Amino acid sequence: MNTILTISKREVTRLRSRFRGGSRLVVLLILAASFLIAYLAFRQGAFRGRGLYRVGVSPDVPPVCDSRFDSVTVAPSLGYSMVEAGQLDVYVDGARAIYSDEERSLYAAGALKLYLETQELARVGEEYETDRAFPLRVEIARFPVDSPSEDRETVVPSLMSPPLPFAHVISVSIYLLPIFFVSVFFISGFMDEKADRRITVLLSAPVSPFRIIVGKMLPYVLFTLISVVGITVVLRGNVLPALAIFTPVVLFTFAVYLMVPLVYRTFKDTTFISMFATTVITTYLIFPAMFSGVSDLSYISPLTLAVEMYRGQPFGLKAYLTSATSMYLVFVLSVYVGVRILNEEYLTRFRPLYKKIADAIYLTISRDHIYLSVTLLSAFLIPIVYMVQLVSLAISLNLPIRYAIVVVLLLSVVVEEIAKSVGIVVLIENNVARTARSIVGLSFLSALGFLVGEKLLLLVSVGVVSESAFSTAIFSSGMLLIPLAAHFVFTTIVCLLTKRLGVHRYPYVIAVGAVIHALYNLCVIGVFA
Amino acid sequence: MKAHAFFTIFKRELRSVVKERTILIAILIQLFIASFSSALLMGLMSVYDPEATSLSSMVNIEVGIVGETSGPLSDFLRARHARVIPFATLADAERAFYAREIAAAIFVPEEEGPVADIQLFLPESETSSTLTLMILREPLKQYENYLREQNDIHVRYRDIEGLPATTYEFQYGVIIPLLMFFPAFVTGGMVVDSISEELANRTLETLWSAPLSLSTILGAKIGSALFLAGGQCLLWSMLLRLNGIPIQNLGLVLLLAVISAAIVAVGAASIAVYFQDRERSQFVYALFILLSVSSSYFFDFSPIALLTRLATGGDWTSAAGVAAYAALLLALLTAFLSTSKRLIAAGN
Repeated sequence: MNTILTISKREVTRLRSRFRGGSRLVVLLILAASFLIAYLAFRQGAFRGRGLYRVGVSPDVPPVCDSRFDSVTVAPSLGYSMVEAGQLDVYVDGARAIYSDEERSLYAAGALKLYLETQELARVGEEYETDRAFPLRVEIARFPVDSPSEDRETVVPSLMSPPLPFAHVISVSIYLLPIFFVSVFFISGFMDEKADRRITVLLSAPVSPFRIIVGKMLPYVLFTLISVVGITVVLRGNVLPALAIFTPVVLFTFAVYLMVPLVYRTFKDTTFISMFATTVITTYLIFPAMFSGVSDLSYISPLTLAVEMYRGQPFGLKAYLTSATSMYLVFVLSVYVGVRILNEEYLTRFRPLYKKIADAIYLTISRDHIYLSVTLLSAFLIPIVYMVQLVSLAISLNLPIRYAIVVVLLLSVVVEEIAKSVGIVVLIENNVARTARSIVGLSFLSALGFLVGEKLLLLVSVGVVSESAFSTAIFSSGMLLIPLAAHFVFTTIVCLLTKRLGVHRYPYVIAVGAVIHALYNLCVIGVFA
Repeated sequence: MKAHAFFTIFKRELRSVVKERTILIAILIQLFIASFSSALLMGLMSVYDPEATSLSSMVNIEVGIVGETSGPLSDFLRARHARVIPFATLADAERAFYAREIAAAIFVPEEEGPVADIQLFLPESETSSTLTLMILREPLKQYENYLREQNDIHVRYRDIEGLPATTYEFQYGVIIPLLMFFPAFVTGGMVVDSISEELANRTLETLWSAPLSLSTILGAKIGSALFLAGGQCLLWSMLLRLNGIPIQNLGLVLLLAVISAAIVAVGAASIAVYFQDRERSQFVYALFILLSVSSSYFFDFSPIALLTRLATGGDWTSAAGVAAYAALLLALLTAFLSTSKRLIAAGN
C-alpha cells in the first residue's frame, strides 16, 4: 500500500510541476468555466443548429425566439416581395404565413408551424378560461382495464411533449467531461515515463507492475470521483447513487486509456487512438441512454441509471449490475493485461499494431496455467464482444434495415469467433500449442469459458438480451448443450485451420468460421425452416 | 530556396502521416461520429416523432373504441391510417387486446360539461406503449382542436403546410458543420503533436540551425495539416452529395472550413510552441476547442452558423463573413509567425 501511495505522490508532483503557482488556479477556473459554457450551450439545444432559417414577421406579430430562426420585423409589402425573391424563407403576416414552394422554404414553414403552435397554445391558454381552451383530457391507463388508478395519468394532447430524455442525457453527459480531460494527463504519465526511460528504473526497483499501475491511476480516479460528487451537488442529485453509477464508468474509461500508452509509441498514434477510444466510449454510453424508458436495452449504459435518478425514479440492483458488471470486468481485464505487459521489452519494442496486440495477449496468458488462462480469457472478453456488437448495431442502423440485420449478424459472429480463438492462435504462433489434440482441448475450454461467462452475464442482467429471435441469434442464448457444442465446433475449426494454413491466414480463417457460425444462427432463428 | 525548403518539410509531414496511418484513424473517427449521430436521430425519431418519418404511414394500428363509434374522433383516427374497431364494452375491447386484435383502446364516455374526458388504454410494455401513444398523438390533437372550434376558439397557423424539418435541420445544422469542422480539430491535434514531438526530441533545433527559418518550418507544418483538412472536407462533401445531401455555395463552404482549420492550426501551434510539452499543449488545446465550439453557439456570426447558412443556400448569405474570417486568419498568422521565436524562448 505504501509503495502505491509513493507512486501516486510522485505522479501528483509531476503534474504539479506542469502547472506552477498562479497558473494552476487560472487553469482550474478556465476548466470550470468551459464546462459551464459547454453545458449551457448544449442544454439550450446547440445540437439543433443556429440561424438555419430566415423569417420575417409583420409588426403586429412578436419576433420568433428560437435559435434556428433569424427573425426580422418588416412591413407586409416588403415581406411578400422578400419571400418571392428568396430573401426570406417564410413571412408571417398577422394570422397568415407566406412561403414559397422551394424546399428550403417548405422546411422552414414546417419548423415554424411547430413553433407557432406552441405560441398559439400559450395565447389561447391566457385569453380563455382553462376548460374552454383545453377541452380534451385523456386519461392514460394500461391494460388490464381494472389496473389501479394511481398508475394512470391525465394529459392534454396538445400539451403532451414526447418523453424525450435528451435534456437529461445531456445533463448527465457533463459527468464524462472531467474524465476525458483528466485522461490526457493520465496517458501522458505513462508516455513520459516511456520517453525518458524512467520506467526502466522504476521497474528495476522492487515495485510490482500492479502497484505502479494502481499508483499512477489512483490520483486521477480520485479526482474524477471528486468531480462526480461536485457535479452531483451542483445538479442537486443524490451523491451516493451517483458515485455508484459513475465509479464503473470512471474505472472503465481509465481501463481503456491504460491500454493506449502501453501499446503505442508516437504522440500522433496516442492522440488519435485515444480520440477514437473517447468516441467509442461516448457512443457506448450515450446511445443506449437516449432510449431510456423506451427499451430495456438502454440498461446497457450506466447513464440510463443516472437519467432515471434525475427523473426521480429509483433503480434496482439488477438494472445496476446489467451495466456495471461489464465495466468492472473490462477494468479487471485491462489492469491484469497492463500488469503482464508492463516490462521494458514490450514497451519499447516498435511493431505493427496487430503484432503488439498479439504480443499483449501472449503475455497475458500464464505459461503455467495455459488451460485456465484460455478459459478465463474467453470469459473476460465477453463484455468487449458485447460492446463491439452494440456499437456495430448503432452504426449499421444507417443502412437499409435488411442490410443492417445482415451486417450486424455477420459482424457479431466475426467478433465472437475472434474472441474465442485469439488466445489459442497466439499460442499456436508462439509454438506453445503444437498438437492437434491440445488445440482441440483448448478450443473446448475456450468455448466453455465463453458460454459460461455469457450465461453468468445474462443471469445478472435485466431481461434484455433474450427478447427477440434476432438477439437470440446474436447472443446465442437458448439451450445450453447445443450452443456449447456449436461454439466448440466453430472454435475448433478456426484454430485447426489456422494451425494448418499458418497464422498469417488467420483473417481468412475467421471469415470461414464466421460464415459457418452465421449459417448456424440463421438456422436457430428459423430462416431455413 | 525558401519555397523549396517549405515543400520539403511539407512533404515530410505528409509522409509521416501516411506512414503512421493517423489520417485513416481520423477519417474513421469522423465516419463513426457521423453515422452514429444519424443512427441516433433515426432511432429517436422513429420512437418519439413518428410523424416526421414515413413510419406513421407505414404502421397501421388497430384501435378499439368504446362509446363513440362514429364521430370526429374516429374520422381523425382513420385519416391517420388507424383501423377503428367499435366495441360495446371495455371488457370486449380488453379481450380483443389480449387476442392481439387491437393495439390500444379508447373509451369515450357520454359527454357532460365543457370538458371531454376520455380514457386511453395502452399495452403494459413501455416500448410499444410509447410508440402507440406517439402515433395517436396527432389525431388526438386534431380532435382537441375540433372541440376548441366548437367552443369558438380558433387556433391560428394550423393551415401551414410545410415539410417535417427534423431531418433537414439535422443534416444542415449538425452533420454538415460536424463534418466540415471536425477536420479542423484533427488538424490542430496533429500540429500540436508534430511540434511538441520535435521539441521533445530536440529535432526542431537541428532543423532550425540549418539554413531554415522557424517560420518556414512552422508554416510547412501548418500547411501540410491544412492540406489534409481540405482534402477531408472535399471528401465529405462528395460523400454527402452521393447520399443526397447537396451543399450550396460549395466553394465558399470549403473555403470557410479551410480558413477555420487554419485558425485552429495557428492557435494549436501557438499553444504547442508556448507550452513545449505535449501533455500541457494537448490539454490546453482540448480546452480551447471545447470553449470555442460551445461559445460559438451563442453568436449569430460564429463559423458554425455561417457555414450552416452558406450550405443551405439563399440569396442573403454573403461572402463577407468568409472574408472577415480570412482577415482574422491573416492577422493571427502574422502575429504568430512574428512572435514564435520569442514564444519558444519564453516557454523555455
